[in-house]
Order: sequence, then C-alpha cells, then structure tokens
Amino acid sequence: MLSRYIIRRLLIGVVQLLGLTVAVFFLIRILPADPVSRLVGMNASAEAYGQAQRQLGLDRPVMTQLAAYLGLAPGQEAGLLQGSLGTSWVTGSTVAAEIAAYLPVTLELITLGFLFAFAVAVPVGMLSALRPGGRADKGVFVYSLFAGSQPEFWWGLLFVYVFFYQLGWAPPPLGRLSPMTTPPDAVTGFMLIDTLLAGRLDKFAEAAHHLVLPVAVLTFVLSGPIIKMVRQNMARALGSDFVLYANAAGLPRAIVARYALRAAMAPSMTLIGILYGFMLSGAVLVESVFSLGGIGQYAVRSVLAFDYPAIQGVVLVITAISLAVYLLLDILHALIDPRIAY
Amino acid sequence: MSTSDLPAIAPARPDWLFRFGVAIVAVVTVLALIGPHIGPYSPTLTTPRVAVPPPGLTQIPGLLWGQITGTLPYPPHWFGTDVSGYDVFSRVIAAPRTDLVIALLANGLSLALGVLLGLLAGYFRNAGTELLMRVSDVMQSFPVFISAMVLVALAGRSTANIIIALAFVYTPIYIRLTRAEVMAQTARGFVEAARALGQPELQIALRHVLPNSLTPALIQSSVTIGFAILLTAGLSFVGAGVRPPTPEWGLMISTGANQIILGEWWPSVFPGIAISLTVFGFAVLGNALERRYAGG
Repeated sequence: MLSRYIIRRLLIGVVQLLGLTVAVFFLIRILPADPVSRLVGMNASAEAYGQAQRQLGLDRPVMTQLAAYLGLAPGQEAGLLQGSLGTSWVTGSTVAAEIAAYLPVTLELITLGFLFAFAVAVPVGMLSALRPGGRADKGVFVYSLFAGSQPEFWWGLLFVYVFFYQLGWAPPPLGRLSPMTTPPDAVTGFMLIDTLLAGRLDKFAEAAHHLVLPVAVLTFVLSGPIIKMVRQNMARALGSDFVLYANAAGLPRAIVARYALRAAMAPSMTLIGILYGFMLSGAVLVESVFSLGGIGQYAVRSVLAFDYPAIQGVVLVITAISLAVYLLLDILHALIDPRIAY
Repeated sequence: MSTSDLPAIAPARPDWLFRFGVAIVAVVTVLALIGPHIGPYSPTLTTPRVAVPPPGLTQIPGLLWGQITGTLPYPPHWFGTDVSGYDVFSRVIAAPRTDLVIALLANGLSLALGVLLGLLAGYFRNAGTELLMRVSDVMQSFPVFISAMVLVALAGRSTANIIIALAFVYTPIYIRLTRAEVMAQTARGFVEAARALGQPELQIALRHVLPNSLTPALIQSSVTIGFAILLTAGLSFVGAGVRPPTPEWGLMISTGANQIILGEWWPSVFPGIAISLTVFGFAVLGNALERRYAGG
C-alpha cells in the first residue's frame, strides 16, 4: 500500500531528524570553539563574559539546554515542539525567519540548475547509449567524467570573467537583481515568481538575466554525473529481453528507445535525489561567487560566527528537505516502475 | 551491480584517457614531494612586485633565454603575482603537498575505519552491527559541506581537523561498500570450508573474508581522493579551510576572486586549472580501475 509506505517513511524520517538534531546539538558543544568570547570580544571583563554566557543560555547544564531547545521546558522559551528554531546570536532575528528568507534563493538556483541539467543530460545520455563505442559516445563519456570533477566556484569565476568582463553579456555578480533595483515584495521568496506576481516583467527579465550564469555553472557540473548514470542505465535497458523482443518484432528504433528510456529513468531517480541533497549545502560556493544570498552563505556565516541556533536550524532544515526529496523521488520511482509495489 | 552484468554495449574507454589520468596523478604526486622547493620563489613569502600579469606569449622565449643565461634581474613570474605579491607559479606547484597530504590521510583514515567497521557489520550481523549501520546512516545524512565546515571551523582550522572532518564524511561510504561486498563474499564456499575446519569466526573474518572484500573500497579510493581535494578547496574558498598563507588551490582562487571583475584573471585561473586537471585525473584513474577490477 503506497500510502502506508509513505507514512512509514515519514515516521522514520522524523526519528532520523530528531537523532540528527540531538547529534548536531552535542557535536557543536563538544568542539572547543567558544561562541561567548566571539560575541563579547577578546578584552571583555569577567562580568561581561558571564552576562553574555547567561544571555546565550550557555551557563546551564547541557541537558537543560537540550530540553529547552527541544521545547520540553515550557513556560520559559519556545523550542522545537512549539515550532521555534530559536534566535540567531548574531542578528537577533528568529532563525526561522532568516532561513525563510534565504532558503528560497538556493532552492530557486538548484531547481533551475537541475531542470536544465536534466534537459541536457537525458537526451545526450540516451543518444550516446544508442550508438555505443562511437566517437560521440567516447566524447560524451570524457565530458561526463570531466564535468563531474570540476570546482564549480572556479567555473563561476571563469564565466564571470569571460561573459561579464570580456564580453559584457552578463550582469556583474552582485546579487539576484541589480543593486539599483528595488526588489518586489517577497511573497514566495523565489525572485522569478515574485516579480511575475508583482506584474513587473522588466524585473522578471532582470532576475532571469542575473540567474543565467549561476544556473549555467550548476547545469555544467550536474550534467556530468547525470549523463553518466543515464548512459549506464540506458545501456543496461537496451540489453534487456523486452528490447530484444521489441526489435525482433520490428518496432521502429525511436519507439524502442522510448521504452528503454522509461526503464532507464527509474534507477536514475535515486542519484538525482542524492545530488539534490548534496547541492543544497554545496551550492554555497556558487552563491558566494555571485553574491546571491542563499542558505549556503547563511550557513557559512553562522558557522564562522559560532552562531549555534542558526547552525542547528540550518542543519535541521536542509536535512529535512533532503529527506523529503528522497521520499518524493522514491515515490516517483515506484510510480514509474510497475515492478515496485509497496 | 558490476560491469560484468552489462551487455557488450558498454562504451569503450579510450586508452589514451587512462594514460592521461595516470600521468596527471604521477605529476601531482611528484609535485607533492618536491613542489615547494623547486619554484623560483618561496610559496609563503611575498615579493615586491604586486599584481603583475603573467608574461605574454611573445615574451616567453626571451625570458627563457634570460633564465638560462642568468641575465635576468629577478626570476620571471611565469603565472604572474597576486594582489599581495605572492608568486602564483610557486604557490600553484607547492599546493599539491597541502591538498594531497590532506586527501591521502583523510582517505586512508576513512578507508581503514570504514573497511574494518564494514567487515564487522557484514560478517557478524547482530543487534550491535545494526546499531552501527543506523549511526552510519545518521552520519551520512548530515549535509556534507556544512558538516565539514562545522567540524573544521569549530575545532580550529588546522590540517589535522580538516583531515578528521573529511574522514567523518567519507567513512560511512566505505562502511556501506565493504559491508555489501562482505555479505556477498561470506556466502561463498571458502567461508563454509573454513568453518568446517574449526577456525574461529574472527580469524575467518580477518584472514579470509577481508582480503577478498577490499576491491570496491580500493577502487572508490581514487575517486574519494579527488573529491577530498575538491572539498578541501571548497572549504578554503569560503574561509573554513586551511589558514593563509598556506599554499592551497582553493584559498588561492578565493583571494584572487575579488580581482577577477577588475580583469586580473591570473591569480584565480591557474590554481583552478590545476584543481580541474587533478581531480579529473583521479576520476579517470578510478574509472579505469573500476573497469579493470570490478568485473567480479
């Protein structure tokens, strides 16, 4: 029963998230970094230090801090059970509000990157599997190995140098819109959607223009492993019995290829899920180069500032999204592949 | 899933590609050994010439001649200098030592730990090993880049901590790979034969099953080393990696990044080419090993 499988996965996911949250909680407190001195500075007096420590709640025993964070100590501060992720020690705003502001930026970037990478990789992988051993196949193979091992931040810089500095085609890497443009009201947080909702097609075009280079970088890097996997799965599908039968029955090549493609897509879903989860935090490198202000940059800032609630919040949210993506793709896999029945 | 399952429609790996990968890995290894000493300048000291571009193509023969005859006032900056005055060429060839040492040690540590734990988990399948697998799952569901950042930044930005952080990220992969292979190997006849001879279980596991189960992990090592270099470079790029002025490709790209929109491309481009080729070489090598040895 698919619905029972989903419920089971969701329950396991909640347990996993809880385990992860507690693990991160203890991990960052075990490490020798001192967020209090980071906050009050090197020359603070002992009283200032103590006061800051009380403010951050770090003077309490660790288990008390954990209970407060989880929301098991009601009446004092809201915790996870009440839906609060805490307050950032750096900015003072709630972690939830900050993540809500930064997360859509990253989601917009990687989703677009994946869509384009998929659109490019599937036909290329399919075509090269149909003509195995040919020159195109070898070229595609080398390209997929090459693209998958590239430092994307360097390619981002390279694109900026070539397409902005030399050719002037791309805008300067200063954010999602030009610094002179007022952004539209943040309804969803996705710049492309918000500009459309505000009815400003000029800002939509500008946002799209600013997204071209970062999305191109991601598409390039993601296409490598996706092509490799599609090609491999396609080659396996083409060698299976039903393709042999279809060919023997005289079906045209195009139709046989379509059947094989469907069989090849299913196992590729898992890899795409893993890549998506990896990219959620990995996109920080591209975000930094283009100053997009996504959750990766937020994570870097939080880590370097020893902002514990923010770090915990980011890890929690990113892992939750990764788990949701895995579940979604497993469901998709089950829908595509009739051999899988839950 | 192994390559022997694939029909004869598997693509032919061009042989020159494999030799290319081996050549790159060899060059990087040699540079890791002698790189910091053979450059014209010290990789950690600045020169008085700041933000000098690399020589143009037409100047190179003249410079080479001057270098050979010893008539130049100072050694040429083949890759130019960056905004602080460091000679880019000397730092690019000194960086493999930093990156490769980190990558090799991190991979070695996670390989040793992962294979051992994977062996135990695959051979002795009891409640303890199930717990181990759940813990390993939790470790694997940490977002990779963030967990590496957290470990390094909060434990202190030293080489040792980077190695430990990378090992933390890669160990679950080796555990999973080895466990699968061990479970397959344990079903084979030689284990039953050893048991019939009365050998103790632990000895069977270590003496017979372990050597037969190493192949997937060793093949994965090449790719992991390459990705470890990428991860180190990425960490250093955002400021959660090695400390300046350690020569490291990612750090060099980061310091050169601000100058790129001004048109000074050389401090970032050359280290980037180096990383690009190096990780590609390791990936190619890993792929060739997989084709050769993962047939059974």
